[in-house]
Amino acid sequence: MVRYVNVELDSVRLAQYAQQVPCYICEGANTFDAELCRHCYAPMALAHQARSQKVRPQLMAVIGSSGVGKTVYLGMLLDMMSRQTNSWQVLARGAFSITLQQSTVAALAGCRFPEKTPNDPDRWNWVHCQVRPPRKRHAREIIVPDVAGESILEEIDHPHTYPGIRALLSRCSAAMVMVDAPRLGTDGGEQDFFAMKVLTYLSELIEDPRHGWHNRPVAVVFSKADQCESAFDSPAAYAAERATGLWRHCRERFKQHQFFACSVTGACVSRLTPDGRRVKAPLRIEPRGIVEPFVWLNSRMKG
Amino acid sequence: MLSAKRNQTLVALGLSTLMLCLAAAFAEPLLLLAALAGYVFVGMRYGTRWRIERGRLLSQWRRQAEKPADEAADAVAVPVGREESDDLVGEILRRRRHALLARPQLAATLGPAHVAAALAALHESMAVVPQGRVLLDGNAPSLTDTPAEDRQMNDVVEVWVDAVLIDRYPVSNEDYQHFVDDGGYEQMELWATEILPALLDFVDRTGLPGPRYWRDGRHPAGLARHPVVGICWYEAAAYARWVGKRLPSDAEWVKAGCWPVQFGGEGIVQRDYPWGEAMDRSRAHLWSGESHGPVQIDQYAEGASVGGVHQLIGNVWEWTSSNFGTADMHLIAEGANRAGHAARLKSLRGGAFDTYFDSQATCHFQSGDQSIARKHNIGFRCALSLCDVVGCESMTTNREHHPMECETTAAAGDEELAAVGSREGG
Repeated sequence: MVRYVNVELDSVRLAQYAQQVPCYICEGANTFDAELCRHCYAPMALAHQARSQKVRPQLMAVIGSSGVGKTVYLGMLLDMMSRQTNSWQVLARGAFSITLQQSTVAALAGCRFPEKTPNDPDRWNWVHCQVRPPRKRHAREIIVPDVAGESILEEIDHPHTYPGIRALLSRCSAAMVMVDAPRLGTDGGEQDFFAMKVLTYLSELIEDPRHGWHNRPVAVVFSKADQCESAFDSPAAYAAERATGLWRHCRERFKQHQFFACSVTGACVSRLTPDGRRVKAPLRIEPRGIVEPFVWLNSRMKG
Repeated sequence: MLSAKRNQTLVALGLSTLMLCLAAAFAEPLLLLAALAGYVFVGMRYGTRWRIERGRLLSQWRRQAEKPADEAADAVAVPVGREESDDLVGEILRRRRHALLARPQLAATLGPAHVAAALAALHESMAVVPQGRVLLDGNAPSLTDTPAEDRQMNDVVEVWVDAVLIDRYPVSNEDYQHFVDDGGYEQMELWATEILPALLDFVDRTGLPGPRYWRDGRHPAGLARHPVVGICWYEAAAYARWVGKRLPSDAEWVKAGCWPVQFGGEGIVQRDYPWGEAMDRSRAHLWSGESHGPVQIDQYAEGASVGGVHQLIGNVWEWTSSNFGTADMHLIAEGANRAGHAARLKSLRGGAFDTYFDSQATCHFQSGDQSIARKHNIGFRCALSLCDVVGCESMTTNREHHPMECETTAAAGDEELAAVGSREGG
């Protein structure tokens, strides 16, 4: 009996290895079969998708300190926008883009918060999606990563620690800076200082004033606003009152900025586990102000 | 009264400004003195107004603390002439306080026509939930590490509920307006003692007593038939007392929605939703991406329970009299201030217009919030034990026949989830 099998010629494989594929985020060279970029650990699927579909997705950054709620926000945003029919819609590209939404929704539906995003860049979640405005045929391709808060802080304090973050923030068309609203003005101003560091970092990242962050849209989002309702009444007034430094930074360094307030839960509780740990749990899920900052950024992004 | 004071103040302010202008124009010292006197008057008026209000409330509070608890009821029961009695009963019925008249103690002092009118109004506004057993989840999903799919039947607690009347609809702005207009926030006997110092904080957007999102002591125009929101647990309980009712306990609320049926002393079968076993979003006002607030209390009629109770699921969360979690859980509400740490969380049921997950809008799902939380999506409905209605006094439970924990009027305030009897039996 004769069996026929396909065996790649070594010469073909060598030829493929010879042609390097640039990472979509940091543009570092990688082999054609790499799963993650060997420089910044971004998924190479982003580069392959961009090449095969002949589209150039725009990047959007969601930045905030650890525990501010970036993962919950992003997961909820994707789920809400993928369920809407008459408004802005989101369509995920690639299975890896659905992972974040899936894990967040599964946790929240069971009245738990999703696991904290690890510091290791190879375990960050990346979302590549198609965003379609209402009553428009033209859709925009957007890539939004979910980066660990500690890593962002590390990169800001010690530039070039995480090349992926630096490359991402340089190339982003828009940024969302998340601030923990209930912790604003407490903890020695930690939230205020972190947000100011991020804004300073962004404003000094690109030297060319025409293409710098001065002209790119920045949304400052107060998360967990269910615990301080006044943030919903007027986010800008809340910023001016509770985070004066942040408010002044935005006014003086960013031409296009807007303040928002959002919350995913209706109420949260801390409880002791049998082994003595204190864990936070959502008592119910009632998203408020989730879509608005994303829509605002999209409507101001160029291209 | 307050607006008359405000007008006087504005007139004084206007006159003072006019005199100041004239004094400046003609360099007249007398006019200048008069203008200054006017400003001093306005300043004193504004400065003292809040202190006067506060003093009045505190003195009422002290007087009420010395009063016997049932003095208010006695005041209504004073014999009056027939015409006056008609007026009084008519006024009570107009304000939808018919439950007061249907109480056996008061009904004994009324004529048959008045009692009949009160009972008719009661029948129209409340539905009967028959006595029986109901299954409650032992722990809310937020309070356990066990995923929902792994939870066993032994996480379920069986609770006995006495027969009870429950409001067919949530309390509306229109209903609550009567309470505010009647000075409900100043009637100290309606309020729990521990909340009296915080009572001055229960104000609307303009600083007057009332729900958080009202203005000038009035509900927003066009929202008369919408459920009242922006009220804390204590405000809900005070209103319930004012209308002669109380808040339903968790078990009563769940029984009204799930409508459990017991087959010959065997197992209990009860629904997940008032209309059946599966979520049907056309029957309840829940998150849809386009809903921006509550709807009128009589919408979504097809979502009513077997007993005719509407909007148990969706539109607004409803306060119940029960606590959230058990006393040994050391729960701390996120965002609570130092005082809030000590406050127990109160139970919420039913889901609201912005509830995102179907699994959190079932009759069995329990949420909670701080008892002083005044939120945009929390309202309430009232209940009345059947034994508190004239002619039904004999309908009480013989606990000996029901070894499991009983839900009674006395227990309706607190701690019914302890399920002591259930554990002993199991």
